[in-house]
Formats: sequence, C-alpha cells, structure tokens
Amino acid sequence: MKILLVEPDRLLAKVYRQALESKGHHLVSASTAQEGIAKVDEFKPDLIILEIQLVEHSGVEFMHELRSYEDWLDIPVIINSIVPPAEFNHSFKILKHELKVSDYLYKPDCSLKTLLAKVSNFDPVLK
Amino acid sequence: MGIQQQKAKQMSYGLFLSVAEELKLPFLQIARLAEASQSLATDPAYKDIESTAQSALRLVDNYILGLRLNLMPQTISLENVSVSSVLYNTQQQLDSFAKTYDVSLDLVVAGKFGPVVANEQALQAALVSLGAALIEALPSINSGQLKLQLATHRSRYGIVAGIYADTRQISQTTLKAGHKLASISRQPLVDLSHTSGAGVFVASSILEAMDLKLGFSRHNNWYGLATILQPSRQLQLVP
Repeated sequence: MKILLVEPDRLLAKVYRQALESKGHHLVSASTAQEGIAKVDEFKPDLIILEIQLVEHSGVEFMHELRSYEDWLDIPVIINSIVPPAEFNHSFKILKHELKVSDYLYKPDCSLKTLLAKVSNFDPVLK
Repeated sequence: MGIQQQKAKQMSYGLFLSVAEELKLPFLQIARLAEASQSLATDPAYKDIESTAQSALRLVDNYILGLRLNLMPQTISLENVSVSSVLYNTQQQLDSFAKTYDVSLDLVVAGKFGPVVANEQALQAALVSLGAALIEALPSINSGQLKLQLATHRSRYGIVAGIYADTRQISQTTLKAGHKLASISRQPLVDLSHTSGAGVFVASSILEAMDLKLGFSRHNNWYGLATILQPSRQLQLVP
C-alpha cells in the first residue's frame, strides 16, 4: 500500500518508516503541511498518516486543503498525534465528520504494533 | 498571596508546563526506538527500556493533565463512568511496567457496581500515576510479596477505588506527611518511596481537579491509597 506520512519529527518519521516498510508498504514522508499536499499530488497515496501539530500550517489546515479537491475526498487519513484527543474535543468532531478523518491515535498510547494493526485495516490486499 | 507572587506562580506553572510538554517527545522517541529495536535484537533490556520510557512519558503526560485541569477546571466534563472498566484499563496500561519491577497486578472487582460520576480520562490517569508510583516503591520497601491489588468496594461514603498492597508502610500518616512535604522535600513519602513519589501527588492533583480526594483506605486487610466516588444518581432512576 502507498502511504504518505506527514510527521515533523525526523527521528519518529524514521522509526515509523522502518516499521511500515518492514510490512511491505511503500512510504513517502513529508514534514510540513505544504510538503504533504505536494506529495499527495505527486504520489497519490492509498492512506495518509498525519500529525496535527505541524510547523506553520497545522494538520487541520492540511485536512481542509486536502478535502477541497474532489479527487482526494476519499483518501483515508489516520491522525497520529502528540496532542491528546481530549484537548481536541471540538475540532475532532469537525475532523471526523466534515473532514472525514478515519481514526485519531494518541502517540504516547499508540505502539508501533497498534499503528501497524490500524494501517492494515486500510490495506486492500488484507481486507 | 500578593499580585507579584501570583504572577510568579503562574509563570512557573507555565514554564513547568512547557518543560513537561517538551519532555514528552524524547520519551516517546526512546519508547518507539526501543520497540523497533526489539524486532532486530533479542536482548530483553529493550523491553525494559520501552516500558521505562513509556512510564516516564505517562507521568509527564498525567502531570500536564493535572496542571491543565487545575488551571482550567471549567474544561472538566463529568460523565457516568464504570469503575471496573477504569481499573481494568489501568491494569492493562501498567502491566508491562509492573513486569519490569517483578510486581504482579491483581484486579479485585467483587460485586456489581453501578456507574459513578467522574471524568473517565482523568480518573484513569490518576489511577495509572498512583499505580506506577506504588510499583516503583514496592520492591524497595521489601514487603515480602510483590503484589498490588487494583480494587473497588462499596462503603457508606460511596464507591471506593484504589490500589492496595500488603504493607503497613502505606498509611494515613505517610500520606499526610507526604502532602505536607510535597514540593519542599526531595523525598516526601520517606516511609514509602525512595523517589519523590511524584505519581502519588500527580494522582492527588488530578483527583482534586474533579473535587475528589486521594486518601488512605483498607481493602481485605490490605493497605492502599484510594478515592471515593459517588454513584451516578441519574442512572439509579433507570429500572
């Protein structure tokens, strides 16, 4: 599966990349929202894993931009963030219903194993 | 408290908060790196590195939660919470850290308990902080059996939920002295823990934000720290 990882921390991006590639996924990463949008256009991912807390433009802005294009309306997005979901109450409702975010994972509670299991739910080969 | 002092207190809270937020990232990196390394190496130390970093991360995270809830109590939403499920989730979260210390965690939920009024995330965070502190403390006080019980029972004051050990070193006196010495002494719970016992105070501060108290309690002749929760009256009306 082609996965776009939007992750600002280089070290975490490296760990996630290794874990996802070890399961046979093809991964491209971006560290900012703008770079992420450019990569969506270029790479046409099957799934996006997104950190909300990004530099300059947030993950929410990324989502608004992404969903403003008809072709990208159905790309599934998993949020994997260092921001606790409780601090995201209001916006998360918007993210889920208006911006069609599939899942919200809280990084401290989400092991690599859990992340890989969540990702496999979107793999058309495994479905 | 004078305006100047209040300002300084607010500033130090703010600074603590940003330091704590900052600390989350390196702990997260260590935990995930250790987890990734386990697939490449068989050294059991990686498992310990992961659970230690995970525990440190949780402590920082729960400290932030306590601070935020106390600074902005209006953000706490109270809901109907199942104590048994919170205790079960607490056991799951602490399991790997407990193994690092050779401590076994037993869940003791005898009887049926209806829902209580609390904020689930905050209650769980408080119990996890408390549990981690007791896991760390237990081997150093050498109580014989390295066992903790996550237990709940009914009392005339409400539903009591807490963590218990077979050691008299958990006592009302220890807790009282600890609260007096917290943030003054390096080792406020001197009879119980070789560390600052921060997890106990983090738990206490989270509970206080919900108008609950961390107190001494006994369960089946074991000694523990627990809180008293009020049953949800709303659901009691449902037949």
